[in-house]
Amino acid sequence: MSQPLPQRYGAIAQAGHWLTLLLIVGAFALGWIMGDMKMSPTRLKLFSYHKWIGVTVFGIAVLRILWRQWAKAPPLPPAMPAWERIGAHLSHWGLYALLLAIPLSGWLMSSAKGFQTVYLGQFPIPDLIGRDRELGKLLEEVHELLTTILLFVVGLHAAAALKHHYHDKDDVLTRMLPRWRNNGAAR
Amino acid sequence: MKLFSAILLSLATLGVQAAPRTVDAARSEISFSVKQMGVAVDGRFRRFEAQVDFDAARPETSSAALAVDIASVDAGSEEADSTAVERAWLDKAGFPRATFKSSSVRALGPGKYEARGLLTIKGKPREITVPFSAAEQAGGTTLLSGQFSIRRTDFGIGGGEWNEGDLVSNDVPVKFKLLLAPAKQ
Repeated sequence: MSQPLPQRYGAIAQAGHWLTLLLIVGAFALGWIMGDMKMSPTRLKLFSYHKWIGVTVFGIAVLRILWRQWAKAPPLPPAMPAWERIGAHLSHWGLYALLLAIPLSGWLMSSAKGFQTVYLGQFPIPDLIGRDRELGKLLEEVHELLTTILLFVVGLHAAAALKHHYHDKDDVLTRMLPRWRNNGAAR
Repeated sequence: MKLFSAILLSLATLGVQAAPRTVDAARSEISFSVKQMGVAVDGRFRRFEAQVDFDAARPETSSAALAVDIASVDAGSEEADSTAVERAWLDKAGFPRATFKSSSVRALGPGKYEARGLLTIKGKPREITVPFSAAEQAGGTTLLSGQFSIRRTDFGIGGGEWNEGDLVSNDVPVKFKLLLAPAKQ
């Protein structure tokens, strides 16, 4: 369709973006803390919260990807060189892929370790794989490796947004922010 | 002729006492399930000794004695295993074995029975009733299987901070399957 592309991210896309950031910061902090804790009731609670956040991130990522098919993302500034465009697309789709893959690896790892994931303590998510110690350790490695990659890509993503804002002085960062002022790009 | 009747007599005598039947450990299992924050975590014991005399025709002559090696617990991961045998939980060091000794067995219906006896975990004996079923298998083996539930706090399993709120459920279902070798004739 020849619908004109929007100049800004809409409220739903922005909510999905910033909520995801908040959740992954929380999940990362919990994962970091609980990894080194001695087994205790508190640790079991943190594990559960971490998994619930992961399931939520996964669900939001699916919705965001679907939403993006409907409400197209604003185009990149025309002045951007090709390598930057490729980099931007790769990192955006890489981020979506990681937001799906990290919770998936965590869920599989939980199953392999014999702890089913029960969302909010109420909704059991079926185990795709059975208990398997070696596979559990492998998936733990995968989960941590993917998280490390996410950390780097998020860093790159944030650095690129700041570079656009302060160096290129374009609207790449501000179009993902709520409109503070009225002189934002017209719809 | 004398010898022949002696053999007959001894065979008959053997038949009267329900003879201990070997338990095929590889095809038997004792498992349990602990629920924490709505998540059921299953475990089993890899090593146990079982002495079972079972006679379907005269269940009241049957008896069972089991000893479970606490250190052989398999709760899915090394972390869960080591937590399970800590002092607060099964206390491997203080009480390396959990035992069950039946006091009576009675029939409930076709293939259904009930054993009463003393279950001792962490040195605490408690009377329990265990319903089970017996099914004859190919080759004369018999599969005994059943399920019962214990309250872990009856045995002092998991204490202190683990009992706060209802993080870890008190009821722990226990399942077992014992495959008995053919009765000796």
